[in-house]
Amino acid sequence: MKDLTKLFYPTSVAVIGASEHILKWGSIIISNIMAGGFQGEVYPVTTSSELVYGKKAYKTIAEIGKPVDLVVITIPAHSVQSVIEQCASVGIKNAVIVSSGFSETNEEGKKLERQLAEFAHAKGMNIVGPNTMGMANFKINLHAMFSHVRLFAGGISLMAQSGNVGNQIMYWAEQQHIGLSKFVGSGNEAVLRCEDYLDYFYQDEDTSVIIMYVEGVDDGRSFMEAARKTTAKKPVVLLKGGRTSIGSKAAMSHTGALAGSIQIFRSAMAQCGVCMVDTQSELLTLAAAFDSMPLPKGNRVGVVTLGGGWGVITADECEEHGLLLPPLSRELMAKLDERLPHFWSKGNPVDLVGQPDPQLYKDSVEIMASSDLYDAIIVLGIINSFKSVLRLYEAAIRLGKEVKMDFVEMDKHLDGMQSAFLDNIAELMEKYEKPIYPVALISPPDQPVIHRSEKKGKYSAMIFKTPEEAVKCLAKQFRYAAYLKKLGRL
Amino acid sequence: MKEIIMNAIQKKQKALSEYDSKRVLSDVGVTITKEILVKTKDEALKAAREIGFPVALKGCSAELMHKTEYGMVKINLHTDEEVERAFDELVSKGMELDGILVQEMVDGDRQFVIGLTRDAQFGPCVMFGLGGIFTEVLHDVSFRVAPITMDDALEMIEEIRAKEILGPFRGSPAVNKEMLAKALVGVGNLGVKYDEIAEIDINPLIVCGNRPIAVDALVVLKQLPK
Repeated sequence: MKDLTKLFYPTSVAVIGASEHILKWGSIIISNIMAGGFQGEVYPVTTSSELVYGKKAYKTIAEIGKPVDLVVITIPAHSVQSVIEQCASVGIKNAVIVSSGFSETNEEGKKLERQLAEFAHAKGMNIVGPNTMGMANFKINLHAMFSHVRLFAGGISLMAQSGNVGNQIMYWAEQQHIGLSKFVGSGNEAVLRCEDYLDYFYQDEDTSVIIMYVEGVDDGRSFMEAARKTTAKKPVVLLKGGRTSIGSKAAMSHTGALAGSIQIFRSAMAQCGVCMVDTQSELLTLAAAFDSMPLPKGNRVGVVTLGGGWGVITADECEEHGLLLPPLSRELMAKLDERLPHFWSKGNPVDLVGQPDPQLYKDSVEIMASSDLYDAIIVLGIINSFKSVLRLYEAAIRLGKEVKMDFVEMDKHLDGMQSAFLDNIAELMEKYEKPIYPVALISPPDQPVIHRSEKKGKYSAMIFKTPEEAVKCLAKQFRYAAYLKKLGRL
Repeated sequence: MKEIIMNAIQKKQKALSEYDSKRVLSDVGVTITKEILVKTKDEALKAAREIGFPVALKGCSAELMHKTEYGMVKINLHTDEEVERAFDELVSKGMELDGILVQEMVDGDRQFVIGLTRDAQFGPCVMFGLGGIFTEVLHDVSFRVAPITMDDALEMIEEIRAKEILGPFRGSPAVNKEMLAKALVGVGNLGVKYDEIAEIDINPLIVCGNRPIAVDALVVLKQLPK
């Protein structure tokens, strides 16, 4: 297995081709590393200026005269080979080659890339790319990449065969307060391939969930082997780009013609425990769920809802995704009867019939979560419903009624109430080791998916936008849990 | 089994005949039709009586991958006379044949397909799906990368959309899933063991009572570079 520790945890980084041309790669990378708060040494290497963003620039890599753990190369393709050779001569083992103009272009580029790969293999160098958006380690504030995102450090590591897919996911993660551990754009994979990153993330202790965006794998069986080993320890969520069926026309039998490559890819991933998703947003949501909630141990779901319709929709979704909604036991019924108004639904889903009372919710969620009858709880409609009450006051005021209320204070109070409710969900998840899925009544665009609590617990509450989003996520988590169970690992 | 495959490779065949395909499959646990390969009309009659009427007669040759299209399949033959007439018709087509295959008629409403394909990235993969005339239209199939275990096989059987028809169906009992799974495991093992096999098709696999039986089968061989 390749040792990528220093690649992801360098204490010194050199940027070759560094500059202050704000919109050019030479600046994009070094400004991102320096402004992003990296605590290690940073060495700009360039022949065209003495200083880069106030740091002394070196003419060559050899001139630095100190150990360099990682170089990031942004110079034109035809000069890369000689720079890599210089790096090797001073003992540098890790490089990120951002430059394009290699195998993705023409024969000349393919030749350059072959030469580069052969050299790297001979010298035992780890090379990311070429033709990559770069890499990042958010745990050490290292942003050696295109995207100037600043996000929470978390447990999710991301490998993308397309830089822009990676960019988009990272910007979403920033908006949604989803914590990431590492990012790498694998580029042309001349030296390091997606299996290598998977292998590294498998043993990396700062990684608890892995996201992969993959367009193709060269050797399906070796990828499966790496994936099987990894998923036994941590979840891998994967999106496959390019879903065409290659070669099926040439097949002579019915079987050959029926084998769309995407269907075989899906089966192969299921066989080695990889969770496949269909969209980029699902990729991030599911990874976040794995990272911030306990796994459902089974497929029995309890639902607490603010109205009948929502419960019905959710029950439908559950059944369609292979989840069960077992009825309440007599004891549970009695416990709920004690707390709830007499007109509640008396069944699962537990319908509070339009009573957006946080205490009732809190009690019912805990009663349900504490029961051995359920492996996961979905909570519908309480999130953001408090605030809808403000509109009632606004209407009354518009109609001339005098209302003595400080809206700013009220807003703050309601925020606090909601925050406490979500904190409680996180605590209940820890207390009962069971996932709980709150679904919002209203989803303001600026509300992050992850609720970051002041109290640092084992889990964080996530806010889902729709019942189907919650159910889909739960179903995939359950499938992974079932896979682990089959291996005897849960 | 190895001999059958190697012989065919030596003779530069593109595929095994139905008879040879089934012998290979039967060896790895696929239940096949009762059948006898004959050369003469007398042998055909004897075989038909031994198997029991009604029978089917098929022209058998490695070159004949699409028998039905060439009119080389005669089914539901109930009497000696029908067998004789069918024999004459098949022989009169003037095709080069290994012989005539006399085969039991398998009666059942449920048809499935089992196959092996080689994926460019993942190598040999086993397929299970709904068979018969709607195979291509409904595209109701599931796959696994070979080799597979009995558990994998049972799982992939449950994955097709039409899995309900595996249960009790119109007065017929539930399909014997163990037999299905054993066939799938066997087909996967063939793909892993013999690089020479490019593709396999068992279509149809007809369920008679609760027993799935391979009624037609084709083992396609890899083309050696010239």
